Amino acid sequence: MAERPPAKASPDRPARRRARPARAGREGAAGYLFLSPWILGIVLLTLGPMLASLYLSFTDYNLFDQPEWVGLDNYAAMFADERWRGSVRVTLVYVLLSVPAKLALALAVAMLLARRRRGEGFYRSAFYAPSLLGASVSLALVWRALFMQDGAVDRTLSSVGIELGGWVGNPDYALLVLVVLAIWQFGAPMVIFLAGLKEVPQELYEAADVDGAGRWRKFWSVTVPMISPVIFFNLLLETVNAFQVFTASYVVSNATGGPADSTLFYTLYLYFQGFTDFRMGYASAMAWMLVAGVGLVTLLLFRLSRAWVYYAGEDGR
Amino acid sequence: MSATARTARAAGPARRVREALRAAVWHLAALALLAVLLYPLAWLLGASVKPDDIVGSPELFPARPVADNYQRAMEGVAGVPTSVFFGNSLILALGSVVGTVASSALVAYAFARLRFPGRGLLFSLMISTLLLPFHVVIIPQYILFQRLELIDTYVPLLLGKFLATEAFFVFLMVQFMRGLPRELDQAARIDGCGYWGIFWHVILPLSRPALTTAAIFTFIWSWNDFFGPLIFLNSPENYPLPLALRMFVDQQSNSDYGTMIAMSVLALLPVVLFFLAFQRLIVQGVSSTGLKG
Amino acid sequence: MVGTRGRGRRVAAAAAVLALVAAGCGGGADDGTVELRYAWWGNADRAELTQQAIDLFEEQHPNISVTPTFQEWDAYWQRLNTDAAGGGLPDVMHMDYMYLREYADRGLLLDLNEQVGENLDVSGTLDAFADVGTVDGARYAVPIGGNTFTMVYIPEEFEAAGVEVPEDGWTWDDYDAAIEQVSESSGEIYGGHDYGTLIWVLELQLRQEGGELFTEDGGLGVDAARLAEFWSHMQPLRDSGAIVPTSEAVEVQPLATIGAGLSASEFNWDNQLARFTGETDRELALAPVPTSDPDNLGQYLKPSMMYAAFSRTEHPAEAAMLIDFMTNSPEVAQIFGGSRGIPANTAQREGAEYNEVDQAILDYEDAIFDQLTVPPPAPPAGAGSLEGEFIRLGETVGLGEATPEEAAQEFIAYAEQTLGS
Repeated sequence: MAERPPAKASPDRPARRRARPARAGREGAAGYLFLSPWILGIVLLTLGPMLASLYLSFTDYNLFDQPEWVGLDNYAAMFADERWRGSVRVTLVYVLLSVPAKLALALAVAMLLARRRRGEGFYRSAFYAPSLLGASVSLALVWRALFMQDGAVDRTLSSVGIELGGWVGNPDYALLVLVVLAIWQFGAPMVIFLAGLKEVPQELYEAADVDGAGRWRKFWSVTVPMISPVIFFNLLLETVNAFQVFTASYVVSNATGGPADSTLFYTLYLYFQGFTDFRMGYASAMAWMLVAGVGLVTLLLFRLSRAWVYYAGEDGR
Repeated sequence: MSATARTARAAGPARRVREALRAAVWHLAALALLAVLLYPLAWLLGASVKPDDIVGSPELFPARPVADNYQRAMEGVAGVPTSVFFGNSLILALGSVVGTVASSALVAYAFARLRFPGRGLLFSLMISTLLLPFHVVIIPQYILFQRLELIDTYVPLLLGKFLATEAFFVFLMVQFMRGLPRELDQAARIDGCGYWGIFWHVILPLSRPALTTAAIFTFIWSWNDFFGPLIFLNSPENYPLPLALRMFVDQQSNSDYGTMIAMSVLALLPVVLFFLAFQRLIVQGVSSTGLKG
Repeated sequence: MVGTRGRGRRVAAAAAVLALVAAGCGGGADDGTVELRYAWWGNADRAELTQQAIDLFEEQHPNISVTPTFQEWDAYWQRLNTDAAGGGLPDVMHMDYMYLREYADRGLLLDLNEQVGENLDVSGTLDAFADVGTVDGARYAVPIGGNTFTMVYIPEEFEAAGVEVPEDGWTWDDYDAAIEQVSESSGEIYGGHDYGTLIWVLELQLRQEGGELFTEDGGLGVDAARLAEFWSHMQPLRDSGAIVPTSEAVEVQPLATIGAGLSASEFNWDNQLARFTGETDRELALAPVPTSDPDNLGQYLKPSMMYAAFSRTEHPAEAAMLIDFMTNSPEVAQIFGGSRGIPANTAQREGAEYNEVDQAILDYEDAIFDQLTVPPPAPPAGAGSLEGEFIRLGETVGLGEATPEEAAQEFIAYAEQTLGS
């Protein structure tokens, strides 16, 4: 939180000494007591289900009959499943297009806003708003309407001589509709960038001025390294979230992932397998592949971050 | 910035003119960008009062706005009036707020202020659930609730909220509570408070900003939530608004775009109002913890 | 006291959760009235009519209270499947021919023969429908109405293009030529649509050739080569722009292309005429489907929807009474007219009041009545999900994202995996 509460003056009485082990024991017990809702939750709703889905991923299970052990069949079937491969491709393309574009726009706007103080609060809120609203079904429906044949986008493009027709029904463009919707919600990373930019010491820019550095040079040599932890944080968060996008594609494609599977996201295909066709074993295997995939990407990002993320204070060590 | 530094050296009046010009250009650029960005929202609002040709009409707002779409939107879908969907959304949102804030505060207090064996490990475990794809738990959860015959009730949607499964909010509160001075605990202990007393009388009142932020985000997330209700609810009379909206689109025999758009506006309204009322807290919450909008 | 207040709050929270549970479940009445849950698919218009029929039933059976729920087709099956997996279905529900065997095989449906002669009278059922509700000798469903396949078209467009009114026995080549001509002459509207998404047209073509969509042992009655031919036959029409491009059809969904004003004709079940009439202002008419064998239209009278009861219902007698009333009462027929398909019960067929649209459907069915055959046996378990896969692959071919051969292979593989599993 940005705001810290004011510290109240502590009363001027000396603390009584207590027997340490007894207190530690009581504090420990109290700790677990306070923690109990979360412990119950993580066991019942997270760890337990994770183990269960790991087990189910090795079975054939349709909710009606008993799960039947099939070993690695589900995993093998995935790689032979063309629609699964397609959904991996669609998801990767989406992540690779939407995340960098979203972060670049967020950083650009944050830098724009960081330069003026007047009206900053207004602009910051206004640019942030889409981020909050974009998650709703309403906006997905608006997007569908905007990108349809004769919709606002088609009309605008036609007026400058670009005749693409409707994007929603075109397998080459349908995914872009969702990418644009994602980029539109750049507000959250922008706000975080803005906070990061404010922490950059002004002296560094002044020193760069003395060295005669231009704007571009200062951006790469001062701004980027100084906010690299924030860039990394945003990159990680947006990437992990982009892998799990569901609602937008479900609504824009009318619950099909179409046309021709061009917006069949991984999570959408998982949903169809699990909750439309009741192939719970296969869907569980898919879920674990998603965990593995996202885990791998996270690990990779962390590894790579060592090369470019600069933490102030590390120099002193 | 170098630009300002350089202009500062320039002569007085010329400098001021240039500065004003610069500011004007800046505001124009920002406003232009904002106009593009907010166009979809304006379109939504305009379309909701259009009498016909919702998608294709070139103007943003109709010359003669009509309220018909809203009237029809209130009639609802599948025989259930829209007010019921509103009520359902509200029950879910308020239930989520109460559950999340209460349980997260308890848990955050333990992580932030109490020492107990395994704290570090458990804290890392909690943080790691932030990155865990939800889909890996959803199938067994579904089977579990189905066995308990709780499908099509709000239990699967609310239980997790009461068990602090939204790690983001726990994290947010832990950060906040760690910043509170330790001396307060000491003082309260001397006054005879136990751990519960310290939590209830000292930590909780002081953590109000964090609790409020968590409450606002929980409300908005729950209001917009689509996936959870899609999985766990079956009957239209139990649907919250996002699901009802989707169902409306699905109606084979319904070509009524205007009504759908009006319903979209209604569904979005509480989120917009919340945003307008709490924008400062919301933006601060995002900038300090990276909460997703 | 600090502690008790805290406990009180947690108790209150727990109580709130419990209250929500109770609200979600809905309790049964305990005053001797039997409560029946009744689920069906359809829209708000049908909901109004259904409520009228229910009111009438409750008037005659004051001890039975009926709670209806309804959803559109896709959502309805999604929900019914989920409920079935959870082991709890509504007492009475609408059943479709494609799902009948699957539900029967899973032991989810009540054998209504137990109730025949006591609470249920099926003697008035049309001869053609005598066996449609029967699977392996047990009566799991009672037909509500019937429909048959048709080509809905806009006569004005066909006349303007100088195309003759399609007649009984016209061929698929005639169809192609007619569509091409309408598209060419109009310039604004496409003559037809890409019927590659309709498994029913494939079924018709197979039946015209003497085959069936499903073999007797529950397999698929079409091979990859024939299926590929089905999809590639339309390629010249796609290339020449004579039919609505799939990309445009996809965008206007859930509207039909004829309803959205994109096409001058559309294949569908004849009772859908009411829906299309609601979607467009143009005047519509019905024509028999083209055929490869003028003596065999391949068409049959299909049960448009059926009543079924849950095998573990607590009130089998009352469920049967509701079904009996709904399928026999002429008053019910007057309420619904032909909106659920032309009634499958002779008393209702004669007692119904038909509006203009119903009359058009009835006239159409009468005109080809002699050529309609008895329905094929209930499709194998898993057939219900084939329809969706067929739509997806039909669209993929229509968009040019897969060749007819690739799509055919994929569909055959899917069917092998799904049927009978």
